[in-house]
Amino acid sequence: MADLSLNLCGVHLKNPLIAASGTFGFGREFDELYDISQLGGISVKGLCLGGRLGNPPSRITETASGMLNCVGLQNPGIESFIEHDLPWLLTKNVAVIANFFGTSIDSYCAAAEAFAPTGVHMLEMNISCPNVHDGGVAFGVKPEGVYEITKAVKAHSKQPLIVKLSPNVADITENALAAQEAGADAISLINTLTGIAIDVHKRKMILANNTGGLSGPAVKPVALRMVWQCAKKVSIPIIGLGGIMTGEDAAEFMLCGAQAVQVGTANFTDPYAMPRIARELDAYCDAQGVKNAQELVGTLIQY
Amino acid sequence: MIDIDAKVLSSEVLAEGLIRIILHAPEIAKDAKPGQFIQMLVPGEAHVLRRPISLMAMDAAAGTLTLAIQPKGKGTQLICSAKEGDTIRCLGPLGTGFDGNGAETIYFVGGGVGVAPVCGAMDGFATETSHAFFGFRTKNHVYGMTQAPCAVTAVSDDGSIGEKALVTKPLMEAIEAKRPDLIMACGPTPMLRAVQKIAGELNIPCQLSLEERMGCGIGACLGCNVKVNLEDGSWTYKRVCKDGPVFDSKEVEF
Ligand SMILES: Cc1cc2nc3c(=O)[nH]c(=O)nc-3n(C[C@H](O)[C@H](O)[C@H](O)COP(=O)(O)OP(=O)(O)OC[C@H]3O[C@@H](n4cnc5c(N)ncnc54)[C@H](O)[C@@H]3O)c2cc1C
Ligand SMILES: Cc1cc2nc3c(=O)[nH]c(=O)nc-3n(C[C@H](O)[C@H](O)[C@H](O)COP(=O)(O)O)c2cc1C
Ligand code: FES
Repeated sequence: MADLSLNLCGVHLKNPLIAASGTFGFGREFDELYDISQLGGISVKGLCLGGRLGNPPSRITETASGMLNCVGLQNPGIESFIEHDLPWLLTKNVAVIANFFGTSIDSYCAAAEAFAPTGVHMLEMNISCPNVHDGGVAFGVKPEGVYEITKAVKAHSKQPLIVKLSPNVADITENALAAQEAGADAISLINTLTGIAIDVHKRKMILANNTGGLSGPAVKPVALRMVWQCAKKVSIPIIGLGGIMTGEDAAEFMLCGAQAVQVGTANFTDPYAMPRIARELDAYCDAQGVKNAQELVGTLIQY
Repeated sequence: MIDIDAKVLSSEVLAEGLIRIILHAPEIAKDAKPGQFIQMLVPGEAHVLRRPISLMAMDAAAGTLTLAIQPKGKGTQLICSAKEGDTIRCLGPLGTGFDGNGAETIYFVGGGVGVAPVCGAMDGFATETSHAFFGFRTKNHVYGMTQAPCAVTAVSDDGSIGEKALVTKPLMEAIEAKRPDLIMACGPTPMLRAVQKIAGELNIPCQLSLEERMGCGIGACLGCNVKVNLEDGSWTYKRVCKDGPVFDSKEVEF
């Protein structure tokens, strides 16, 4: 039994496993399958003020060792979340991370501010959703944009601010550095990689949005590379994600320099994935003779 | 709702292009209702999304589920290659199924692979005055024997069984002879659209079972959402996996 707990920007997590935004709703459905207080944290479905309907169907399809989605940030709104879902979630003894987005610097700031009076433990700013045309992607592309939005939003954030980075950029380390310089408390990476899927018989796009975001094991090598590169550049904590299906996958991200990890697509393959991954990470630590999982962070032997 | 390793009791060809699998899944069978479905894990590590499959029959006492699966793409082909004695990981029962609502006379309408959940609905709700209408491509595609006490009329695309007609033709004739209290339907979109139109024009309560691509299957990811009309004239998106797959036909916007 290794100690899996950690302190992430002043917030205690029982273990480094956080449910990835958009794959876990607000936790209610998975709580019917297992007690979600076993998790380190939950990053809730991406929220904005006033809510959003999202994209028309089809929104999801499987691809080789992965999947594409273009849900389009459908959400009931920050107001509705705070009133109807947050009180329940806060009884669950799990770190609640409010994933949010806006359509302008002002709306991003207002969104962050809306969480200030609540018991949310951390904020995760999505500047990287590829599936909506006005959902912040413009801010997530260039380091100047990342700096500008992070600086502005940090001034309106009461809770620690995580900036979630897009992989669909020229050099992700520049964006990681820009987020750090602008005052981000942590970064999470990666969001999905933009792709398309084709029904070759109908000669037609499968997703109604044409493009979608790729996730799952197919993206893991890219995600690991990006976490490894960013860890060499920034000193703020890194949350790694992209294709984690097992405890060993989680350990790989930690070896690259991530303090914590998020699990997304795996929740669809195996609805009990997260408690299983926690057990597997524990067994891995035991096998490695590691007493505290944080000892793994950044210890990758490289050439 | 539970995720279990269900044992394959039998797997055999049910009709052309259709495999019947009977699973031993007592934990799911005990709570399953007509129109609900399960999410089946595709064997092997390559497939991250499960495949939603309807329950054709469920037997709580025997602890079994009966499925009719069309091996279409890679995932359903791999699932259909499972042999007696193998296990398949299944999450269920899922979704909101058909609701008999105390209706006396129900007309059931099924097309192709959509006949499967309609059989489940017949076992659950059919009365002697009910009637089922099934559409198949040819006589080789026919399946759908149930214990239900009601009459069954089959039609086909080529006239090799029953009339060469769309299933809505005998449905309309039956409605003209006796108006049902409720219609329950599952099948290809053009069929559902035609049934919706008939039910709408004649103001007959009607429930349609829809299909959409799914991620989680439990209501968390919003991957399966379809447009539904609200009573006040506006519309919203609802989840096929949780709010459906069965919807009131008035709500459905194709
Ligand atoms: C509620 C519900 C009940 C269903 N019941 C049955 C049934 O009883 N018997 C049966 O044979 N089929 C049923 N289907 C359809 C079945 O789920 C698809 O044929 C199957 O998912 C296709 O997977 P594949 O690997 O063969 O195809 P691929 O084309 O390789 O699949 C690629 C991806 O698209 C998804 N997909 C493709 N077509 C469909 C579809 N029509 N519906 C949903 N997802 C799709 C797959 O799940 C997968 O994620 C049902 C679908 C739903 C939504
Ligand atoms: C269906 C779906 C919805 C998602 N919605 C969001 C979202 O609202 N906000 C966000 O920041 N990321 C969202 N993501 C991205 C995931 O949080 C995660 O970054 C990505 O899926 C990679 O991790 P994975 O390979 O473990 O799934 C979504 C992903 C999926 C599959
Ligand atoms: S499939 Fe995830 S909400 Fe329906």
